[in-house]
Amino acid sequence: MRKLIYLVLAACVLTLCFSANGWTLGRETVIKVGINAPLTGDIPKVGEGTKYAAEMWLEDVTKAGGIEVGGKKYPVELVIEDNESKAESAVTANTKMITQDDVMIIIGPQSSKQAIPAGDVANNYQTPMISPWSTNPDTTAGRPYVFRGCFLDPFQGPVLANFVTEEFGFTKAAVLYDVASDYPKGLAEFFKAAWEEKHGAGSVVAFESFTTKDTDFSSQLTKIIKSGAEVLFTPQYYNEVALIVNQAKDLGWKGPIVGSDSWGSAETVQLCGEACYGLFFSTHYAAAGAQGATKEFIDRYNAKYGYVPDDVGALTWDALRLAQTAIEGAGELTGDIKKDRTAVRDALAKIKDFEGITGKMTFTEEGDPIKCAVIVKISDKGEYEFYKSICP
Amino acid sequence: MEKLKKLFSPFSVVPLAGWLLGGFSAVLMEYYLGDLISYYLYLPKIPVLFGTLIMLKKPLLIPSALAYDLIVYIVPIFLVARLTAPLTNGLAALLERMPLWLATLIHLAAFYGVLSTWAGISDYRVLVVKLTMISVILTLSLNVINGYQGEFSCSHPGFMALGAYASSILTLLLFANDKMFGAPLLNPALGPYLFPLVLVFGGAVAALGSLIVAIPSFRTRGDYLAIISLAFLFIVKSAIENLEIFGGPRGMSSQPNYATLPVVFSWMALCIWVVHNFTTSVLGKALNAVRDNEPAANSMTVNTRKTKMTAFMFGAFWAGVAGGLFAHVLRYVNPGTFGLNKLAEILAMVYFGGLNSIYGSIVGALSISVLSEALRPLELFKWIIIPLILILVMIYRPHGLISFTELNVKGLIRPRNKARQEGGE
Repeated sequence: MRKLIYLVLAACVLTLCFSANGWTLGRETVIKVGINAPLTGDIPKVGEGTKYAAEMWLEDVTKAGGIEVGGKKYPVELVIEDNESKAESAVTANTKMITQDDVMIIIGPQSSKQAIPAGDVANNYQTPMISPWSTNPDTTAGRPYVFRGCFLDPFQGPVLANFVTEEFGFTKAAVLYDVASDYPKGLAEFFKAAWEEKHGAGSVVAFESFTTKDTDFSSQLTKIIKSGAEVLFTPQYYNEVALIVNQAKDLGWKGPIVGSDSWGSAETVQLCGEACYGLFFSTHYAAAGAQGATKEFIDRYNAKYGYVPDDVGALTWDALRLAQTAIEGAGELTGDIKKDRTAVRDALAKIKDFEGITGKMTFTEEGDPIKCAVIVKISDKGEYEFYKSICP
Repeated sequence: MEKLKKLFSPFSVVPLAGWLLGGFSAVLMEYYLGDLISYYLYLPKIPVLFGTLIMLKKPLLIPSALAYDLIVYIVPIFLVARLTAPLTNGLAALLERMPLWLATLIHLAAFYGVLSTWAGISDYRVLVVKLTMISVILTLSLNVINGYQGEFSCSHPGFMALGAYASSILTLLLFANDKMFGAPLLNPALGPYLFPLVLVFGGAVAALGSLIVAIPSFRTRGDYLAIISLAFLFIVKSAIENLEIFGGPRGMSSQPNYATLPVVFSWMALCIWVVHNFTTSVLGKALNAVRDNEPAANSMTVNTRKTKMTAFMFGAFWAGVAGGLFAHVLRYVNPGTFGLNKLAEILAMVYFGGLNSIYGSIVGALSISVLSEALRPLELFKWIIIPLILILVMIYRPHGLISFTELNVKGLIRPRNKARQEGGE
């Protein structure tokens, strides 16, 4: 018994002595920005892009001595949480950042399956949240505290339908999409609706689907080729794009293949090779031929991390800059985190014509930005070249 | 090991009631003084999960977090538990004379008091506790099939998905005004009271679904069941993905917030009690006989087919209930959640904790959930550490940490003074 008491006492004294190490980290007002990113799980590349963009932003802010609010500079801290690409982890990460770390604003989660439940948490705790990449309308619908950094699928579908019609003058289209994944499915349906509105019912001559992780698309592609379609639209992710494009070419498909912003990863061209050259897709920004602030961002990112950032990185950067603008515009920090969060939210909703590297944006009432889509052509060198900008 | 035992020998006289009292004093202390103590230890806030998160994020604060744990948890728990031992032993003796159910209920209520005070400090704790308790239900239900029945079933996330969707549809349809089903059919004020029925419905749907696996597959054994049940998991997942009325791959959101801490806690307690009774009943014994030797059990007049079927449906029922609670905690379900990752998670909890044991299931669910939450700041390394621990457990304790033990409530809550020691353990 006595031994035990001594042991506990010694442990107490020891830890108390060393806890003085924390002195430098006393409680001062720090603006904390939460990052909810999929650092592990299905899409670690997305998480990495988010983290890198956030770290670059923090570097800038630290260099400037923090964020200036109401004439006073406050130091900034990032709270980066891994959501493992799971819905429940995104919810726990958000809850932790809001109730424990007292973050001012949250950036993320990126994919809709996490952004929808996590947005519910943020809205309930009245904490502003910007999801840079989530395209599902449910993420922001009816949630005044939740915003997003990208355009929505109901906008992207018609953009593509109009582009194909004007560019090629086609009237018959085919669609190939993944039925088990919410993003391709939603976009395929929006494209179909827009196309049929333009060219009459039945003008989408083939509407074929497959399931996530399928690798053989020959039966669907054969049907599509036989249907007499002039253009193939496939809103898939980079790994599937490479398979679909190559298999279509092998089966004798001659027409153009058009894609959506999910093509925007640097991996698409690497995996797909020359088969993808000359194809078009719509996205948030074009890396090749970028100018001004966009080019500056790309060059810095490339120099630091060794590759050209894809759209996730660029959108996260814009989301962080939006957050910064909102915090700066919040008037004065009261130190009461709840009041400050609401002030930041109000400032965010008021932002007009924000000059982001992915285009100008103004938020609608729902917290969705009004911004332009970019049509990118994959050049003969495999670079993503700016082709056209389409605004709402 | 011997030394460690000697060190803790003064505490062998503390009954469960004493530990609960110690825990209660610790959480009370945290509730009133936690902020002050953490302030003087230069901690930014009361550390949530015993300081693990802050230790991994800012190594400089490790001593502070450890000191906090010592001052707030370890010292008061042990001190109060030991000092009040004579008192609590008297209390335990008093409780022992009561009917067992009453004594258990009193202990449970006390435990809930400790837990809710501890969780009340931050909503993050509440969420972690809720998800952990749901894992306990899931692990127990899978233990019925994979442990007590001795089969290897892989369809548990599928049952969970059935329960989650069935109960979500019901609550959205009856009590919530949402986009999918329009205005509520019943008065939303009734919702919390009818929520148990909704969960039972979810469980029943899962149990019915389990028949699809059970009927064809119980003609086979072993690996075949694993494959059939795995196929069932994929069938459920892609069926929901293709059902546009239930949101398809986009899932369903905005379920009402019915799964509060007391609700989840009572369902967990109920689940433990029912599973315990099930496994110690005649049917449970028959189940063990079937596991050990099916032809022998058959010759001893055990209806093996009925036994297996009942156990399988029973396990699926609780998985469905857990799914219903899960959907109402997250307030969002999508089919992608109930995939192979979930399966791996539940299997890990069952085999880590121990087969054929209720303690084991609780320990397994608790340790895997809390570990994966506490090690989150390590990012990728978390996925190295947790599997490594699993591998080590499998090597040194092939049946899991605590396997093949029965829940003994009477033994747990009995007083521990010296006079009664001869009968103990």
